[in-house]
Amino acid sequence: MAEARKSMIKFKPKKFKVGDTIKVDFIVIHPMETGTRKDKKTGKVKPAKFIDNITFSLDGKAFTTMKVWETVSTNPYFSVNFKVPGKGKITVDYTDNTGEKNSKSKKLKPKG
Amino acid sequence: MERRNFIKNICAVTAVAAVVSPSSLLAKDAPKGGNVLTYDAAVSAITGGKPVADSDKIKLTVPEIAENGAVVPVKVNIESPMTESDYVKAIHVLTTKNGNARSADVMLTPMNAKGYFATRIKLAGTQDVVALVELSDGSFLRAAKPVKVTIGGCG
Repeated sequence: MAEARKSMIKFKPKKFKVGDTIKVDFIVIHPMETGTRKDKKTGKVKPAKFIDNITFSLDGKAFTTMKVWETVSTNPYFSVNFKVPGKGKITVDYTDNTGEKNSKSKKLKPKG
Repeated sequence: MERRNFIKNICAVTAVAAVVSPSSLLAKDAPKGGNVLTYDAAVSAITGGKPVADSDKIKLTVPEIAENGAVVPVKVNIESPMTESDYVKAIHVLTTKNGNARSADVMLTPMNAKGYFATRIKLAGTQDVVALVELSDGSFLRAAKPVKVTIGGCG
């Protein structure tokens, strides 16, 4: 685990039951540098730094994988649907092109 | 007289600088740091030469006019039963004129229950956003929508 990044997993709606289809939103604070922009102070090109792989998994079983390029906005947001099979833990693992690895988890607590 | 010459010289120097600098900047920018991939190359890399059909099943939601090209929300919805035998295998978000045409590849499984994906992408200028969808039977569908960008986001 490299430097800690701020990230967040959100379930929409907040209250759900087993069998409901919910949205899983993942937001991370990341510069998503393209590698073509210049630093206005130094005039040097900023090196590319962007998230390239994201895996959404439930209790270790991946249900959505993504490949992402630098054309995704700064502080990216990704949203997918997901059918709640029961209690569990949603984990999002993500790596960037410089090899930085991070992950974020949130417990699934369906009611009823 | 000296001052006049001095001002003339300054003008000449700045004029030269103005002419030279943009071209040299362009030359530097030409080999882009990251990935450079044209739209056609990206499509052929994804489909492997298979035919792509335009489809009404894909609902692509993008703004008609994006004031800021750095943040353009993209939403893709596909009508699909999402069962083990018939589901949306992948959603590819592409752009036609960005330096790198590919934005995101999303591999879905039946656990997702809906063919849905949303994110925010950068657009370098006015162009089309394309959703290329691969179904579990190996066929490809496509939907495209133009977005007008007033300020580019990739530079």
